[in-house]
Amino acid sequence: MVVLGVDVGGTFTDAALIADGELRTAKVRTAERQEDSVLAAVAAVGASDVERFTHGTTVATNALLERKGARTAFVATEGFEHLLHVRRQNRAHLYRLCEAHPEPLVTIRDCHGVRERIGPDGILEPLDLDSLPDLDAEAVAVCLLFSFRDARHERAVADELARRLPAAHVVASHEVSPEFREYERASTTAADAYLGPRLAGYLRALGERSRAAGLPEPLVMRSSGGVASLEEAAAHASWALLSGPAGGVVGAARVAALAGFRDAIAFDMGGTSTDVCLISGGEAERSLERTIAGFPIRLPSVDVHTVGAGGGSIAWVDGGGALRVGPESAGAVPGPACYGLGGLRPTVTDANLVLGRLPRRLADGLELDAAAAAHALDGIDAADVVEVVNAEMLRALRLVSVERGRDPRDLALVAFGGSGPLHACDLADELGVSTVLVPEAAGVLSALGLAVGDERRDHVRSEVRPLAEAGDLPGEGEADLRYRGQSFELSVPLGPGLDERFHALHEARYGYSDRGRPLELVAVRTADVRPGPPLVLPASRRKTATGPALVELDGATCWLPPGWVGVRDGGSWRLTKA
Amino acid sequence: MNIQLQVLGHALRGVAEEMGAALVRSAFSANIKERRDCSTALFDERGRMVAQAEHIPVHLGAMPDAVAAVMRHDPSRADVFVLNDPFAGGTHLPDITIVSRTDLGFAVTRAHHADVGGVEPGSMPAASRTLEEEGVVIPPTRLEAGTLDRLVALMRNPDERHGDFRAQLAAHRLADERIAELCARHGAARIRAAMDKLLAYSERVVRAGIGHLPDGRFEATDVLEATEGELEIRAAVTIAGDGLEVDFTGTSPQHSGNLNCPLSVTRSATYFVVRCLTDPDVPASAGAFAPVRVTAPQGSLVNARPGAAVAGGNVETSCRIVDVLFRALGRAVSVPAQGQGTMNNLTLGNEQFTYYETIGGGQGACPDGPGPSGVHVTMSNTLTTPAEALELAYPLRVRRHVLRLGSGGDGRYRGGDGVVRELEALTACRASILSERRAHRPAGAEGGGSGEAGRNLLNGRELPAKTTVDLEPGDVLRIETPGGGGFGS
Repeated sequence: MVVLGVDVGGTFTDAALIADGELRTAKVRTAERQEDSVLAAVAAVGASDVERFTHGTTVATNALLERKGARTAFVATEGFEHLLHVRRQNRAHLYRLCEAHPEPLVTIRDCHGVRERIGPDGILEPLDLDSLPDLDAEAVAVCLLFSFRDARHERAVADELARRLPAAHVVASHEVSPEFREYERASTTAADAYLGPRLAGYLRALGERSRAAGLPEPLVMRSSGGVASLEEAAAHASWALLSGPAGGVVGAARVAALAGFRDAIAFDMGGTSTDVCLISGGEAERSLERTIAGFPIRLPSVDVHTVGAGGGSIAWVDGGGALRVGPESAGAVPGPACYGLGGLRPTVTDANLVLGRLPRRLADGLELDAAAAAHALDGIDAADVVEVVNAEMLRALRLVSVERGRDPRDLALVAFGGSGPLHACDLADELGVSTVLVPEAAGVLSALGLAVGDERRDHVRSEVRPLAEAGDLPGEGEADLRYRGQSFELSVPLGPGLDERFHALHEARYGYSDRGRPLELVAVRTADVRPGPPLVLPASRRKTATGPALVELDGATCWLPPGWVGVRDGGSWRLTKA
Repeated sequence: MNIQLQVLGHALRGVAEEMGAALVRSAFSANIKERRDCSTALFDERGRMVAQAEHIPVHLGAMPDAVAAVMRHDPSRADVFVLNDPFAGGTHLPDITIVSRTDLGFAVTRAHHADVGGVEPGSMPAASRTLEEEGVVIPPTRLEAGTLDRLVALMRNPDERHGDFRAQLAAHRLADERIAELCARHGAARIRAAMDKLLAYSERVVRAGIGHLPDGRFEATDVLEATEGELEIRAAVTIAGDGLEVDFTGTSPQHSGNLNCPLSVTRSATYFVVRCLTDPDVPASAGAFAPVRVTAPQGSLVNARPGAAVAGGNVETSCRIVDVLFRALGRAVSVPAQGQGTMNNLTLGNEQFTYYETIGGGQGACPDGPGPSGVHVTMSNTLTTPAEALELAYPLRVRRHVLRLGSGGDGRYRGGDGVVRELEALTACRASILSERRAHRPAGAEGGGSGEAGRNLLNGRELPAKTTVDLEPGDVLRIETPGGGGFGS
């Protein structure tokens, strides 16, 4: 079988092709139009007779960050039309009083109310479609109160809008995120509507280019870590917001599984940011909600925790004399001082070079200028820079493991991205992790994860009722449960002994349980999953290394500190403390 | 600063934050779980705060008093203390504080419980005249078998109270474990030395910030709208080099209502203003507060005598202290215009349920931009309870929650707008409203216009700023919150 994954990043677009048990990879510069980059990467990797083609895209994320979505209107229950502007009433910063939240995706002029009301137990006031004003918009988000329980009014409003505005992209909240808490649901729906036309246009163009190039219709990676058809992906853009990072986590999970680890932490350290995610039972942990560009998005997504620091982060000394790293980054241009491309301020990469943890010449031929790096550091101790950035990474790694009741000693750390393998062993030491896995393909692991990702469709049914009254539940999937009276749920795998597993998880997560307290079922989550093809890593000769040592990889360098030993076996380095 | 120090500072703050996250996610009171009205902190052996997870500023300066109160009881390593007495380490009665020992000092959690007994459900009465009327007063009390059972029996919904206490105690166990792990990894002596240096660092940062403010003595006053008439808060701020002193001499005496503050709340409000004007990002600690001195006459509104009613002091008077201090410092540097200056406290309940919320309004505009709309402006930053969550849990219906467009003051930068919020009672219950800025409008700065005053209405009929009323099913309370002042003309 021939399978292909293409991942579009900010600087590079990566392709990974598995053909008859062999892996080929390619890296090209990302072009202005993402579809050009995708096709260029496909050509570079020399793909032919491809049977499955999976794509990870940042089109939706970029459109949100750059505010380049559709002109969107919002319709809510009358009396709640300002929902997107009222938010949850907290200010953006405790002590910077006028710091602004990101401007809502819909202006207040384009927010409208419709007369109707549904309560927890049903319709309180019938829908009056005549109260729906005439709108002029490219996209419309509809979010009525309690539509997660009774979607009739919301559906009728969406149908009416589709009739009145045949060209507009109309999204009803119950289709996207049928869960309670109206602001978070409205925010998700607004993002979905706002991004929809843009993502759909891109995917249609990519589909046509792919067909012309003799490729199958692309599958698209979604935030959940599963892939979906192009048509499904185009229908709901908010599901694609984590398309990029999800590929890397899926790749890391597969690499860990090949090495015999079902539980691991994915550690992807790039130029400007670092993504960390717990892998549990062979799969990425999922969260039910996250904030993207300041907007809550209530959808299952790989539970990636992002730190705003990477190899390009700038080191500086603050007013109190403390060394800080980031959030400012030298980016790809001008890049670290040692790249000699005009960067003058010291970065983490410069510190690593001064410490002898990078070769003088990178695999792509770039000569690194150690004198420029030392000059930029201007007296700042390079080891201190690495220690400060590691402290931030450590906080993120602890957050996804220890703070969730997981013992790091049972986990492997899977390090990838340009800088991940440089910092992984030091972090493992601090965290108490005994095994670090570094794939040879560390520089293109996201594309590899795309190539082998499972197909997945998620479903959620909102319940919010006592567990004792829930009746029959599906045999597989997850139940969101809480003690009656709490506000936050824990997801517990469905199956026998559900109550007991909830108590145990609550105890592990929060330090206590209360077996006498009734449980409330908030939602039932199920997924249809079709497993993806097997992962293939490059066949490579067995090799060993003893720290201190540098190991050069495809698109990254790995630093083995003193006391660590590495064995390359089956396409990955397994690093352990001697 | 030494790198090891920074790493340890990071680790200590991480422990405080982890305590806070676990408390919020496993608690039962709407105030803690939905609105995050709680704080957690770590202290050293000498009772100096070294790290705090901040959710709301009003707890800033009040946590150290709790530890000081417990230290007077000579706690042993295994002791855990509980307290809420505003005159022995507390703020107002619903904020219950737990203090435990760790290998390095103390761990503290403070959380706003939904009810602590007293004459009105929700324990935030509008018309209390003594502390006893507001609920159970807990002086620093050593937890022994049966202590909590005895306490919760005096409160409404004891089962829910128990749940909140378990969530708080779990956060303490977590702190104990994490501190022990840190000591095992870095050595207790090294961490103790690091704590000293971290405090010195924070102090340096804040002193540098104060040093940038012009020297001088700056005075201002503003008023509170008490039921019996206006009360005055008067402050003189003296900046001398890298130190700042606030003197509240001249402030009205404590009154017979509940707008009185224990000194700890007054200190919190002062620290808040210093933080906004020096370094908003410096980690909260005893060091950061060291350059600031607060004096207030005993028996005044801002340093009330033990036994005074204080339900509104923590939430309302604290806002006005901030307004007065900004106004005084506005004579030295550019400061934001006044925000809504109230938390619009609304408590509904009967013997079956209690529900408490505070409502956002307009922030005053700043020298560099407009004031945000519909937010908490000074000493609080709690969230709304979603209408869907509220209606699933309580016999109440949200009829309306929109921005009060145009209520922010004009100016080069506009003040933020208030909001309109309507709640309908579905069952007979009592409602208490504690609000401010119903008569006096939030002022603009440097020529900016005032924001609109707030309004409270029952079925369209205007209610006073502070009131308790009986509601029948179908009755609708409407709160219009104040807009913020504008900046510049």
